[in-house]
Amino acid sequence: MYLENLKIVSKTLSFWTTSCSSFNTRNLFFVSMANLMLNKLSTTLTTSNQDDDNDTNNNLNEINSSRLLANTFFAIFISNKILSYFFVLNLKLSILAALVIGLASVGASFGLRKMYVKALLKIFEYATNIKQEKLKDYEELIDNELETQMERHEKIKKMQRLRLDTFRLDSADKQLLDDSDKQNNNYIRDEKEISNKQRTLSDMKRDFQLDDITDFVHQGLQSIIDDQVTKRFTTEELTVWNLLSRNDQQYEYISFRVTILWLFGFILRYCVLFPFRLVLFIFACSFTFLSTFLIGRIREGKFKCWLNWYATLILHRILSRVFSAIITFHNREHKAKCGSICVANHTSPIDVIILSTDNCYSMIGQQHGGFTGMMQKAFSRSARHIWFDRSETKDRTLVAKRMDEHVKDKSNMPILIFPEGTCINNTSVMMFKKGCFEIDTVIYPVAIKYDPRFGDAFWNSSKHTMLQYLMLMMTSWAIVVDVYYLPPMTKYPLEDAASFAKRVKQVIAKKGGFVDLEWDGMLKRASPKLDLMYEQQENYSKHLKIN
Amino acid sequence: MGSSSSILLTKEEIQNIANDTGFAPNQIKRLYNRFTTLDKDTKGYLDRQDLLKIPELHVNPLCERIIEVLVDDHGRDGKLNFKQFAAVFSTFRRGKVEQNDLNSKQNKLKFLFGIYDRDKDNKINKSELLSILKMLVGSNIPEDQMNSIAERTITELDENGDLVITFEEFCETLQKIDVDEKMSMKFLT
Repeated sequence: MYLENLKIVSKTLSFWTTSCSSFNTRNLFFVSMANLMLNKLSTTLTTSNQDDDNDTNNNLNEINSSRLLANTFFAIFISNKILSYFFVLNLKLSILAALVIGLASVGASFGLRKMYVKALLKIFEYATNIKQEKLKDYEELIDNELETQMERHEKIKKMQRLRLDTFRLDSADKQLLDDSDKQNNNYIRDEKEISNKQRTLSDMKRDFQLDDITDFVHQGLQSIIDDQVTKRFTTEELTVWNLLSRNDQQYEYISFRVTILWLFGFILRYCVLFPFRLVLFIFACSFTFLSTFLIGRIREGKFKCWLNWYATLILHRILSRVFSAIITFHNREHKAKCGSICVANHTSPIDVIILSTDNCYSMIGQQHGGFTGMMQKAFSRSARHIWFDRSETKDRTLVAKRMDEHVKDKSNMPILIFPEGTCINNTSVMMFKKGCFEIDTVIYPVAIKYDPRFGDAFWNSSKHTMLQYLMLMMTSWAIVVDVYYLPPMTKYPLEDAASFAKRVKQVIAKKGGFVDLEWDGMLKRASPKLDLMYEQQENYSKHLKIN
Repeated sequence: MGSSSSILLTKEEIQNIANDTGFAPNQIKRLYNRFTTLDKDTKGYLDRQDLLKIPELHVNPLCERIIEVLVDDHGRDGKLNFKQFAAVFSTFRRGKVEQNDLNSKQNKLKFLFGIYDRDKDNKINKSELLSILKMLVGSNIPEDQMNSIAERTITELDENGDLVITFEEFCETLQKIDVDEKMSMKFLT
């Protein structure tokens, strides 16, 4: 097959060049690029032979081995580039790096990133237009028997509207959002309606019918096709393709122009942006370790707090530039103050970095090992954070006590906590755990909304490890975020923690335009409790007439 | 580089499935996306465990039975590959029904009958009826009352007196509800 021959050729070429004594950057560049291209093309054009399991396994193995080869070459290329940075062989680029770091420290910006983002949007529109046209042509060939002329006109109009309105594909979500708006307004009227209905229904008990199963079967089958929970743990679908092949789940070879555009984008992201960001990242990490070490040595007092405040701000601003983050803060007057708790919806580990560019927080979480653990220990040297061991998380009272003590001391920074407990894909807000709402203090809610057109910030922890995720982030176009500070809230005197948590969740969901779900985020990994099933069974049996 | 390997559908395959099932190519692509989302280990097929992981299905009283019907009746060896997946769900496609189309009312009724009839003898006997009742009401109604409900249903609907409900008797009972409408599902395009 044509593709097979290409693969063989590229493999021999790569082996030959590496065996050459000259480790020329340019050679490696071409070879690694060729391998990466072939990788992408082979995954997109591989046929799936569903009846023959052996064949698919072979294909997978081939893909994996060629990917491994491509990855090693890419790693060699990147490390070559980084060494050239550090040895100041490239004077202009190191000046640029210093400039970025300087700007970050001061908190100023040239506005370059905003212009970059606007240009990107135009390119995405162009690419999507080409794609839609090609798809339309192809589908017209197939759909001729299935559609009448009128339906086709409607479809075209709908596509145009989608392009203008929003970039969200999910109409089911729009329905949910509209419904929740209506519900909030008609809450009192509905209550009366529901209680009336219940009274009449219980008078109307029916015999068991064979067709009673239809509703349950229908609901079950519908949830297999589209359910509210599992889709929150995968990347959101977009109508505008942002030239990242990882985001387009069914990337096919549609048009030559689009592929060329994608190629340019690929080279730009991996060979120009990525090394630069990696250098910044390494600088930021070394800055963390150095600064926390030095500040940790100073005596406790106001000076230490002040110094720590500025050092953390600068560090996080540099880190935000590592991901090319463009952050817009709204309602800054509601920024969290000392001795309070700040809650936010959780989408990725970058949430912490984004929030910390504006305000200093005390973090709370599990003590990890490895690189993350080192960072946690480093932060603890210069400021007060709450880290607990895995064995202690089960002891909620202990953690609550530590939070209580931290909050009572008014000179402590506000605690930043993510009550969902896990990363959700930024389309919805799931159940808030009531632990932190039991503490007697002011809560400052924050809604974090990522713009999905520039890069998917959601961390799918079952799909990517932390390092893979960071790599994905550093090779995205940019991360555009809207942070909404919300007015502080306190618990009503007779309210319990769970209802308070629900109230805060509603506020955050409304502001960020998220769907408010009652499902638990932990369903990502665990099975749901069967209480809901028992409830359904109870309701059904209430309407059965028994002799 | 960071993206997962996904074996995509070719145009010919999409065309084949479109011809067999009557779905539009767009719908097939979305169904395939959904299939790969549910198939977390990229095995190429769905099994009982994958379907159980859907929380809304897990709390459905008829969850086990629906999964059984899907995987055992429409799949092979406890595995449901994408062609079979598309074929099953085409039964519930909303749209005009042609002569031998999969979404005929007959097929919908057969599916529902299969929920009751697990020993494949084309009859619903009292124990099969009882097991469904148990799933629907849980522990809210005592055994003897459930027994009497089951007996009453059979005597009402059984026409030829053999104390089982055949497929024809089943279809007659379900004449009064609009099966086509009730069992049609929404497939996003």
